[in-house]
Amino acid sequence: MNTTLWLVRREFWENRAIWLIPAVLGGLLVLASLFGGYQVLGAVDLATVRAVVQAGALDGMVLIAVTFFIVMSIYSTWYLLDCLYADRKDRSILFWKSMPISDTATVVCKLATALIVIPLLYFALADLTTLIMAFIISVRANSYIDSSLWRGGLWLQIQALWLYLIVTAAIWYLPVAAWLLVVSAWARRAVMLWSILPPLALVIAERVFLGTHVIAGQLSSRLGGYFSHALQYTPGAANWVTTEIGHDTINTPVSVIQFLNPGGFFSSSDTWIGAAVGAALIAGAIQLRMRRTEI
Amino acid sequence: MRLIMPALIEAQDLTKKYGSHVALDHANFTVETGRIVGLIGPNGAGKTSALRAILGLTAYEGRLNVLGREPFRERALLMRDACFIADVAVLPAWLRVDQAIDFVAGVHPRFRRDRAVGLLAKTGITGERRLRELSKGMKTQVHLALTMAIDAQLLVLDEPTLGLDILARSAFYDALVNDYMDDTRTILITTHQVEEVENLLTDVLFIDKGRIVLDSSLDDIATRYAAVAVAADNLDAARAGKPFHERRMLGKVVLYYEQPNLEQLAAWGEVHTLSIADLFVAKLSGDAA
Repeated sequence: MNTTLWLVRREFWENRAIWLIPAVLGGLLVLASLFGGYQVLGAVDLATVRAVVQAGALDGMVLIAVTFFIVMSIYSTWYLLDCLYADRKDRSILFWKSMPISDTATVVCKLATALIVIPLLYFALADLTTLIMAFIISVRANSYIDSSLWRGGLWLQIQALWLYLIVTAAIWYLPVAAWLLVVSAWARRAVMLWSILPPLALVIAERVFLGTHVIAGQLSSRLGGYFSHALQYTPGAANWVTTEIGHDTINTPVSVIQFLNPGGFFSSSDTWIGAAVGAALIAGAIQLRMRRTEI
Repeated sequence: MRLIMPALIEAQDLTKKYGSHVALDHANFTVETGRIVGLIGPNGAGKTSALRAILGLTAYEGRLNVLGREPFRERALLMRDACFIADVAVLPAWLRVDQAIDFVAGVHPRFRRDRAVGLLAKTGITGERRLRELSKGMKTQVHLALTMAIDAQLLVLDEPTLGLDILARSAFYDALVNDYMDDTRTILITTHQVEEVENLLTDVLFIDKGRIVLDSSLDDIATRYAAVAVAADNLDAARAGKPFHERRMLGKVVLYYEQPNLEQLAAWGEVHTLSIADLFVAKLSGDAA
């Protein structure tokens, strides 16, 4: 356990971007809320303004969450590709391997950093950003919106949404992350290229020789199918609140929780087949890590 | 009564192939506890492959036992009792000196932090420096301080003083012998500078083309080998005495013998014992001319 903590701490020492990127992102959003202009919709009554703000608060929070999530996905991909490659390139692997730490612990810790630690950090910073922004906007627009920007129930829902996304994304993207680790432990150069070329070659080979596109379908559903597996869209009047502002209407969900689809996600065979492939690839990455020392 | 200690390192038919290249070719050797062993060989002889196998950094064929463990399968456990510096300046550039100490203290059960701090204090390198800011010699000193603060039974050093100036070199070997070495420890060391470690070693292993060509203690070398600077008149007789190597030095012919009859040699010319460097050259430059 103690060793695990040191291994994770080590990742933070080496990759300061783990916390710098979300901190800068949060800082920029806070700055925008501090100095950005805002405009109140024409000459409408205060009740309408509050209604718009209430409805818009959810959009704002989700938008912040999505922004952090996208940035995190890009960073984590880079991190996974680099984490077993960088120390082979600079030969510091010879130092790390002189420590009484198994290659299994090393690989699993790096994977957990990418799939759990980094998402939790982004989550915490996105939360902090949201709270600071809400506070700033409330203060700046106090005369219009009062304290109505704070919606405790919604905030709790967003926490639940984040935690659900972290858990399900970690499981769904396990085979992708594990593949990136295999490339990182194996490639002598051009990790980015090696992460893309073999799958691409398989797709093309299948198309040319068999005329089918099973692999292409699997890959695209894995890479692009996360939200359709983990979330659901729930139409129906009971689930939505409609706010009318003049001639426009804004639809907001009664609860964010209704979008979560844990039953569908955890009972899907795609979820568990992917996890099994991921586990096999992780075992492969560990074997490569044991055998490959320098580049 | 002689206490029989089990061999610390035992290699039987140790073989390592890279594709069609054979780096280690059925090498057999043992290293006993409490010895300082020099693994000596020309470039590409298999020194590094042997060290990597012993440290569990590479898979191999044959049987290898280090501290009762199978290195490749049990590297993490082995590293509690063995430590190594495989090549210099491999500490990561982004690491800070104090972070390095914290990390090793955190993960290594046998690391003595006060000792590392004490060793570093002597070098004048401060904790907040990043490794990338240090010269090659300073990096090596940090790595040595970290490694020598580990209470290990086996210390493996691969060219430990490469990049160090002559003062730092001699300080390093002094510390190794005076502060580090005791009866319970064993050191395996490779270096190009044979002369530098000659009076430090208790044993030598000569390796050439992936095979161990000599496995001997220094005491044995003194009694087992001799060289004679042969006077011209005696040359034919001396050559008939089966020397294993011959070389010309300052107009004299020097012949090298194994298991010599010293009285006989003395009759042929001036007898002297062999230094490791002499023996190394003699053993590895082929048969007598």
